Amino acid sequence: MPSDATPVTEAHPETAEPVVVPAQGGAGRRRAWIAFALIGVALGFLLFRGLGDAAVYFLTADEALAQRDELADRRFRVEGKVVAGSVKRRADGVEFDIRERGATVSVRHQGDPPELFQPGIPVVLEGRWDRARPVFQSDRILVRHTEEYRAENPERVEDYTP
Amino acid sequence: MLNAVGVLGLGGLLGTVALGLGTTPADRVQGDLVRLIYIHPPLAWTTYVAFGVTGLFSALYLWRRRPRHDEIAAASAEVGVVLCGLTLATGSIWGRPTWGVWWTWDARLTSTALLLALFLGYLALRRVVIDPLARARRSAILALISVADVPLVHFSVKLWRTLHQQPTLLRPDPQISGVQAWTLLLGFASMTLVYVWLAGRRARVEALEHVAEADALELAVASR
Repeated sequence: MPSDATPVTEAHPETAEPVVVPAQGGAGRRRAWIAFALIGVALGFLLFRGLGDAAVYFLTADEALAQRDELADRRFRVEGKVVAGSVKRRADGVEFDIRERGATVSVRHQGDPPELFQPGIPVVLEGRWDRARPVFQSDRILVRHTEEYRAENPERVEDYTP
Repeated sequence: MLNAVGVLGLGGLLGTVALGLGTTPADRVQGDLVRLIYIHPPLAWTTYVAFGVTGLFSALYLWRRRPRHDEIAAASAEVGVVLCGLTLATGSIWGRPTWGVWWTWDARLTSTALLLALFLGYLALRRVVIDPLARARRSAILALISVADVPLVHFSVKLWRTLHQQPTLLRPDPQISGVQAWTLLLGFASMTLVYVWLAGRRARVEALEHVAEADALELAVASR
């Protein structure tokens, strides 16, 4: 019982039998049930989506190469570090190589890469294998920067080295 | 006492923002975008604390059945939901220019969105059940189920492949140093103090609401 409040003399809800109280704010309760149901739907969606997508979020470059036949036309994500010196700008996009666990994948990307795209940085690409050549056709680049933070020093010249 | 905590926390946050925008250097990779690090991880950390407190006091309530524990659990969950929402929002704002996307369904982001949904469900449940005893008991059980997602969120980057990076601070070899590190720590400390202040105030309101509930019940019974 709250110690510094005016004493409740008669009914003590915390210790008495639950009393059937005429429902006040029926509309409020209905809204809460709706909210509850919506949240349940959201949860279900999240679990369904999350368990599927998040579990195998990307393949590494070597895995993508190894599974090229099984992947066929399917859309997937591949991860690797941008190889220095491989970046070539084209009219409608950019070509570059990514490297991960000893394997190199050539990439052709439609559109402009994001701001932090640079040689050496890990990226996750969304797209699919080209049918004819072992080139990954990408339409989305996600920069997968690492967790280190170092102050910028204009006098220090260096590539991205995680 | 609680007000002092609040003042200290808010002052610390102001200091964090000032340092974050001014004194701290730009990052080698992210440039000025790094300045969101002084807000986003502290929000995430405090979300863990808030929901952790809800879990702890829910367990205590189920053990001891003291209304005070239920009040603290509920208050902490409400502040936690706000913190969790802000974590997702600031993360999204940070992600757009750095990763290149507002959102993606990797394990870290998905599990955090799940955490928000679970505790929104907790708050909705508390509105639906009008009997205080049943409300306290049922929401305590839901809280204990939901808080299991907190360690999942934190370890998601280790258990699965994610776009979201690994922890920077909570590891044997922190990947940040100098004034960046100190500002980050100030952010953590200040956000925690602000949480304590808000949750404390909210718990007090919760307690007063219980008294009002009891009085209204008494009136209803007496007027028959």
